[in-house]
Amino acid sequence: MTATLERPAAARRVGAGTGPGRRRLRNRLTVLAFVAPAIIGFLVFFGYPLLATIFFSFTRADGLNPPVWVGLRNYVHLFVNDPVGRTAALNTLWLALVLTLLRVVFALGTASVLVRVRTGVGFFRTLFYLPSLAPPVAATLAFVFLFNPGTGPVNTALRWLGVDSPPGWFTDPTWAKPSLTLLMLWVSGELMIIMLAALLDVPVELHEAAALDGAGPLRRFWHVTLPSISPVLLFGVVNSVILALQFFTQAMVASAVAAGSADVVGNSKTLGYPGNATMTFPIWLYQQGFRQFNMGYAAAMCVLLFLVSFAGTAVLIRQMRNTSGLGEAR
Amino acid sequence: MTAVLPRRRPAAAYRRARGSTGFLEWVAIHSIALALGLMFLLPLVFVCLTAVMSDRQALTAELWPRQWQWANFVTVFEKAPLLTYLGNSLLYSGVATAGMLVSSVPAAYALARLRWRGRNLAFLAVVAAMMLPPQVVAVPLYLLWARLDLTGTVWPLVIPYLLGDFFSIFLLRQFFLTIPRDYVDAARADGCSEAGVLLRVIVPMARPGIAAAALFSFLYTWNDYFGPLLYTAERPESWTLSVALASFRGMHRVEWNLTMAATVLVMLPALVLFLVAQKTFVKGITFTGVKG
Amino acid sequence: MGSSCRPRHLSILMATLVTGLIGTACTTGGGVTTQPAPAPAPDEQVTVSVWSNFAHRELNGLNKVLDGFRAKHPNFTVESQGSQDDDKITQAIRGGNPPDVAISFATDFLGQFCSSGAWQDLGPYLERDAVDLDQIPDAVRDYTQYKGVRCAMPLLADVYGLYYNKELFDRAGISGPPKTLSELREMAERLTEFNPDGSIRVAGFVPDLKFYNHRPQMLAPHWGAHWQRADGTSGLSADPAWREFFTWHKELVDFYGRQRLSQFLASAGQQYSADNAFQQGKVAMMIDGEYRTAFIDEFTPDLPYGTAPFPVADDQPDRYGTGYTTGTIIGIPRGAKNPGAAWELVSYLTTDTDALVELANSIKNVPTTKSALTSPKLSVDENFRTFLEIFAHPRLVSSPASPNGGAYVKFTEDFATRYLSGEVSDLDEGLRKLDEQINAHNELSGN
Repeated sequence: MTATLERPAAARRVGAGTGPGRRRLRNRLTVLAFVAPAIIGFLVFFGYPLLATIFFSFTRADGLNPPVWVGLRNYVHLFVNDPVGRTAALNTLWLALVLTLLRVVFALGTASVLVRVRTGVGFFRTLFYLPSLAPPVAATLAFVFLFNPGTGPVNTALRWLGVDSPPGWFTDPTWAKPSLTLLMLWVSGELMIIMLAALLDVPVELHEAAALDGAGPLRRFWHVTLPSISPVLLFGVVNSVILALQFFTQAMVASAVAAGSADVVGNSKTLGYPGNATMTFPIWLYQQGFRQFNMGYAAAMCVLLFLVSFAGTAVLIRQMRNTSGLGEAR
Repeated sequence: MTAVLPRRRPAAAYRRARGSTGFLEWVAIHSIALALGLMFLLPLVFVCLTAVMSDRQALTAELWPRQWQWANFVTVFEKAPLLTYLGNSLLYSGVATAGMLVSSVPAAYALARLRWRGRNLAFLAVVAAMMLPPQVVAVPLYLLWARLDLTGTVWPLVIPYLLGDFFSIFLLRQFFLTIPRDYVDAARADGCSEAGVLLRVIVPMARPGIAAAALFSFLYTWNDYFGPLLYTAERPESWTLSVALASFRGMHRVEWNLTMAATVLVMLPALVLFLVAQKTFVKGITFTGVKG
Repeated sequence: MGSSCRPRHLSILMATLVTGLIGTACTTGGGVTTQPAPAPAPDEQVTVSVWSNFAHRELNGLNKVLDGFRAKHPNFTVESQGSQDDDKITQAIRGGNPPDVAISFATDFLGQFCSSGAWQDLGPYLERDAVDLDQIPDAVRDYTQYKGVRCAMPLLADVYGLYYNKELFDRAGISGPPKTLSELREMAERLTEFNPDGSIRVAGFVPDLKFYNHRPQMLAPHWGAHWQRADGTSGLSADPAWREFFTWHKELVDFYGRQRLSQFLASAGQQYSADNAFQQGKVAMMIDGEYRTAFIDEFTPDLPYGTAPFPVADDQPDRYGTGYTTGTIIGIPRGAKNPGAAWELVSYLTTDTDALVELANSIKNVPTTKSALTSPKLSVDENFRTFLEIFAHPRLVSSPASPNGGAYVKFTEDFATRYLSGEVSDLDEGLRKLDEQINAHNELSGN
């Protein structure tokens, strides 16, 4: 297939010359054909639920009976009367900042290691990606077990290394979110593979030219690698923000395991354990909508989450574009 | 020749740019990789060890099996028709991935390299579409599928992928953007139609990215629990493996040894797929390695 | 599966999109019936679907009992499906294609099930068939109805009592289980053993309200603490028993030392594994359900333990012998295709003595009618008998009817965590705020 690329000018045809009007029409039809399914998908799987959610957010609804219009009451409750919701929002913001940053850096770092490995390439890739292959519940359970403060091998190793009082990890309110972040780095294989694919895509000539100019590895990374992978970097950032904002399954399972109740994930006792340190906004929202039948309130939370996510991401994309041309290569 | 349309030889780039490839550096890189690999592996060792424990030992502080209960792998087959579920999982993941490719690759290309009014807005829409928490979207969508009388089938899971998966569109668009515009322009100048450009230039050049997108949508659907539970739980004959994983539970407790045994079995096909798919990246390297 | 399906589905999809937006007031059919649906004629072939969250051993137990039903009603076909969790059942009701019979462990959600009409009112059936509800203990009747609407029947119950380790009791020179809360605290301190480095080796009793089943609902009845005022609003600040409840726990926390206690808790084994701290002899006394006896039999059969009613407040000795109960509920969802037939099955499962006993024996729970409780066929050992006695106590307590899925429990547990870790300086003020929080939350759902 690459053969076509390698004899470019040879096959330059002239016959395609048509009037600009027909060309524009054809262009429009092409675009339409390319994006039509996605537009339908957008309307059905985003537009409809979003509108329904906005509507529900102004009602008292249980999802079973006709909703009752209550105006802004759900929003007022969210901002005034719901301390758990507030804690959850702060936790989610924390994750959006810390987890996003570390996940992108970590994925890029591991991908950079992988790209330099020459012996056993496939072996290492598979090894690094393996955690992401595992079903999340089992993977999370295993991870939390290894970090058990009393009996887990991690703290045993730390004590052996001379750390007197190693952290309580998932059982300690101050360590719970950092522990969750570690867990998510462990399963960041997806982003790592994406970064790897991007790194492998960097045109060789750029590196060669830079090397000829005498640029060291750091400068080459900064001036050659980063700009060429910037669209993928943008993906990594946005994807990580979304992941953090919608963080759900692993936090539910990790808190249940840490509370000693791996078997009853989702029980009110284990949600957010310890001390609501792992209570995320989506978890509380789900709890409201499904468990407590406050669909209207859950919808209001959802609208808020959506607005903040979208505004934040839009600003992020614009900033990255403006400051460094990130995200829109060439 | 390369002056007109440079080939891309990624690995070679690193190799050459690095200059000397000393033994020490080899050791350093590989030690880091090994250490990282060990960290990645450890919790999965826990999964595997639990899979061969007795029910009595599972989830205790004793991490090494007292007796190796290999029969667990047989028991899970006796307790759940895993082969039926395997078929359903393959159907769900296979159709969803194929559908994603057909619907999302063109859309991503249109977003990345075609000029049209509203393109930037459409891009923002794609980003926005990923931001509704699935747990909330589930309620209105479930009502929709229920009205179409499609709950209990695999369609509610698959159809969204036929209509463009936003995660994949976003990912693919970003990958397509890394392909220099010159290649596209040159192909257009050659008289290629946009479909031709897409198939002959973009798709081959972005193969690692496309492979990654396909792999992720396969694995995402493979491990997806919430969707299949919601839509197929009422008909056990359409359960997927991910749903079946939750079936080794009772009123109060889960049989973790069996759950982990089943987990290992569920991971195996995914692992095989990954081993095959990751060759897409390896090929890139060896190909350029020969030529470069 | 042919591709010809797609355009058709798409057009329906679009049509539904429009109507769906307008008609979000999902009228899922079935509706609330005031007239009971008639039972099927003996020669009428009917199919009844049953969803439960049972699996394997328990599901087999249920299915065997269902076989018994089919033997009596040959015209019935029963489709029993396990591993259906509550969220799934709720979604199916919302979508209008629920099972005929739903079995749930979630008594916390009963308020919504009944008040929203998600589960049908069984009143008309009970009246028509003149079912003797006196067979069911009062507390159990309470947790299966909400504001006078009975939308569920009890299908076996869980009862909570004291488990104590006889070997540790002997070592500390204590002859029998505590009967009052001050005895409990005193024994807890005597039974506690520390390691040389000051960490806890054996805890007499763990004063943490997230430890295993040491949850406020299970414990509160023994302080005589009430969740609600007479008007149904949250009443933790109005009932001095709650003050007692929290200070009792706080004092015991201070005895252990907060740091040492959290260290101990962090490495206590998983609740339902062989590493359970009580089963490992690391905890001398705990509150737990009758089903723990089955886990001890299975995982640590050599554990020398006893069971007893949980001790009660010193000034309320007449409460001794009672406890907290909750259980599995069964009902007919709104939109069930065959409610008349479904009721026949529900009625059989919840009132037929042999059926209840058989199920109780296979699942190791407490049967929920008086005649089943006294049935000679019920297999009972000494430790299990305690729970049957607690269950038969006239002052047995269940959770208050809650309209909001047990949000009050979550908030109370959160408060307990903060109070026990010393973050709340003014207990009365804290309880008042807790009441406000619970009430504000209840108002969300219009209650």
